[in-house]
Amino acid sequence: MANVKGSSVCRTATDEGKPADWIPGSDKQTVVDPMEMFHKLPREKLFITGSEAARECMRRANIDIAIAYPITPQSESMQQAGYLYDEGYIKEYYRGEEEIGTFSAISGASRAGVRALTATSGPGLMRGMEAISSWPGARTPIIMLNMCRVINTPLAIQPDNIEMSFMLNTGILLLHAENQQDFYDYPLAAIMASEQVDVTLPAVVSTDGFFVTHARGPVEVTPEEFKLPPRDGWRSAVPAMDNENPPARVSRDAPIQKSNFISYHMHASWQQEVFAAVERSAQYFRKYLGGLIEVVNPGAEDLIIASGSAVSQAREAVRQEGEQGRTVGLIKIKTIRPFPTKEILEAVKGAKRILIPEFNQAGWLHKEICSVLYGRCDAVIKDGPRVFGGMTMPTEMVMEALADFRKEVK
Amino acid sequence: MSLETLRPSPAFKDVLPIEYKDLVEHGPYTNRTDPSKQSVKVTDMGKFKEVIEEHPMCAGCAMTLFIRLVYIGMPNPEHTIVVGTAGCGRLAISQASVPFVYGNYGDTNAVASGLKRGLEVRFPNQKKDVVVMAGDGGLIDIGFQGMMHSWFRKEKFTTIMLDNEVYGNTGGQESGMTNQGKVLKMAPRGKFDKKIDALGLAKVAEVDYVARLAPTNPARVARTVRRAIMVAREVGHSYIQAYTSCNIEYSIPTPDVMKDAFAIEKERYGFEEIISPRAQEYLNEIEKKPKKKKTD
Amino acid sequence: MLIQDNIYLTRSNPSGQGGTQILYRLQDYGLTALSGPQEEIALIHWEVEVIRFTNLETADFETCHTTELADKTLKFYTDKSLNEFLQRAFQYFEELNSLEKMLPQES
Repeated sequence: MANVKGSSVCRTATDEGKPADWIPGSDKQTVVDPMEMFHKLPREKLFITGSEAARECMRRANIDIAIAYPITPQSESMQQAGYLYDEGYIKEYYRGEEEIGTFSAISGASRAGVRALTATSGPGLMRGMEAISSWPGARTPIIMLNMCRVINTPLAIQPDNIEMSFMLNTGILLLHAENQQDFYDYPLAAIMASEQVDVTLPAVVSTDGFFVTHARGPVEVTPEEFKLPPRDGWRSAVPAMDNENPPARVSRDAPIQKSNFISYHMHASWQQEVFAAVERSAQYFRKYLGGLIEVVNPGAEDLIIASGSAVSQAREAVRQEGEQGRTVGLIKIKTIRPFPTKEILEAVKGAKRILIPEFNQAGWLHKEICSVLYGRCDAVIKDGPRVFGGMTMPTEMVMEALADFRKEVK
Repeated sequence: MSLETLRPSPAFKDVLPIEYKDLVEHGPYTNRTDPSKQSVKVTDMGKFKEVIEEHPMCAGCAMTLFIRLVYIGMPNPEHTIVVGTAGCGRLAISQASVPFVYGNYGDTNAVASGLKRGLEVRFPNQKKDVVVMAGDGGLIDIGFQGMMHSWFRKEKFTTIMLDNEVYGNTGGQESGMTNQGKVLKMAPRGKFDKKIDALGLAKVAEVDYVARLAPTNPARVARTVRRAIMVAREVGHSYIQAYTSCNIEYSIPTPDVMKDAFAIEKERYGFEEIISPRAQEYLNEIEKKPKKKKTD
Repeated sequence: MLIQDNIYLTRSNPSGQGGTQILYRLQDYGLTALSGPQEEIALIHWEVEVIRFTNLETADFETCHTTELADKTLKFYTDKSLNEFLQRAFQYFEELNSLEKMLPQES
């Protein structure tokens, strides 16, 4: 076959330009059962940034393709993905033209039946939103890392997780990592959950930019000689677009947009199935993450419910309250979608006051909690403290809010 | 996918869909020894099972003829995936027996980039051809950025522009490929600017195989498509720009559609190929083969 | 990785800016090592204070610039250099704590 020389683009062989005896990093790794990786393998403690935690996660995630467009504070992680590609841990990699192109390309890659990873931050997420919101309906398992950043004008690069609220009703699996450790663990779990046949959905792991990505924290990692099982393109709720599936007419992306009742019903049932699949993913996250929530001091009258960085602030507030002899409970929500309704209802029993601190202006978590607890819990639910635009949330702020709350609700 | 890839048990063969069996036994899915050769001929149209047979396109639509010819020209339809976007073309393309990715607005060339690279990773021993087939608006307007960047990256797939010089599916608005002065919806005083020189852009981006044509010569369309796909498979990117008139929005009487195609071809849409040296070298090699066999 | 001996508490930065704070404690004295986020990852460093605990039961402390170890906030750019300092400090605190025991108790 005449393979014309000089065809150096569209590389799929990562060994191009490498010495003859070079072995891709991925080939030196052994596939291990996900449950073994998540719960049994010995772990080494490192002190690394969130971006480096993402790199160590990608190294073990058996990624086929990574495509991304740089944006602060995501760039650090995706250039690390570039190094992993160079080392042979990722098979294909390129910088996309911008986010619409990137997120479209990553959906193309997923349609081919391979494991695809991308990452973005605030404004990039908003730019690519049309593509992102089409992923679940196309039933494309994709893993996206999302380093949250201010999206509002005036432009800022500080952390603020309002962008997560735009993904709540898309049918995407949405996780919120508290710290560097979570940013290592959650994407691995999300990949395995998203590729289950009865799920077949994209997953986004969000974390608060800078606070996590650009700061060091303790991360316990599994040995780098073990990796997750590869994506099996044949195991999927819908066939991959690889022209390997009979019968002949397999247009998965049929234009169901003609104005008639059959098309309306088809579209409605398709959406119902997407959101049912989100709920079905909960069983896998329970297994992989050891639960959709973490509860500290169960049964306490004062309860903080939080996700992401706010959990760290709440954790410290709970500790300091404890030093002063007051027991405050904490629910950390790991998965925003699927939303842990059942678990939260169980964990709020006994609570009189529920405080929900957040790193965004809209208070989307407060709204989510209210919609779940309305009429099903006697506690008073209060939003705050709420910081945004890159503001910080000192522990004292949480403790003051608790003190005020105790005065308001006896 | 063909009976080569998927081997049904002989006992089950007769319960396979008749359409599929016909495609294999009496159509272009036939197993072939030379992967660069199509097994059906344009001159036999009507005598074999086609990849596309039914469609909801307007009567007399030149685009439909062109799309039929594209599928006949595909060297390996059983290992081809077509990517498209909103527009008239997809109404027919989605009816074909080749998987069709119907993505978001103007995302075709980005999706195809990821898809092609993904298929290369997953099927290192089976070449899969990816073909973008979208309208002039989908590519030159809303899909412009993705198209240009896929060209600059020399992504190994084919872009085919169905250039009807108008937004047909949304009801006749002017597009970047509409001629200057043409009065259409959203151009009540006639289009201000010139038709975008997409061919010139392809040249600048050093696309390896560029062709412009009108569907006046069916055999030439099939041959051009085959060349474009083969270049994309082995060398780099390829681009075909086809005049596929809109008889509705341009008020061309149905019986005169081909007359219009010949006239426009003569006036400003003549057949033109721009082939890079490395693509030419490759084409020479694959196209000389049968002659060699004859002389041997 | 920093020395794990004498760690009293590891917590996220209590000022709410992300990053990590590690408190080392040897009886009344100790050190706080704080590593916060930096726009340039290469500039991430440790900010270290010598501290004196004000409450035997809790993590309440005040900075202490009167020891021979440091009269100001210290900066370390590597774990290695900080670890060397930590070892020196631990030894110093041991001596300091035992010396202070010998002093007559303030009434």
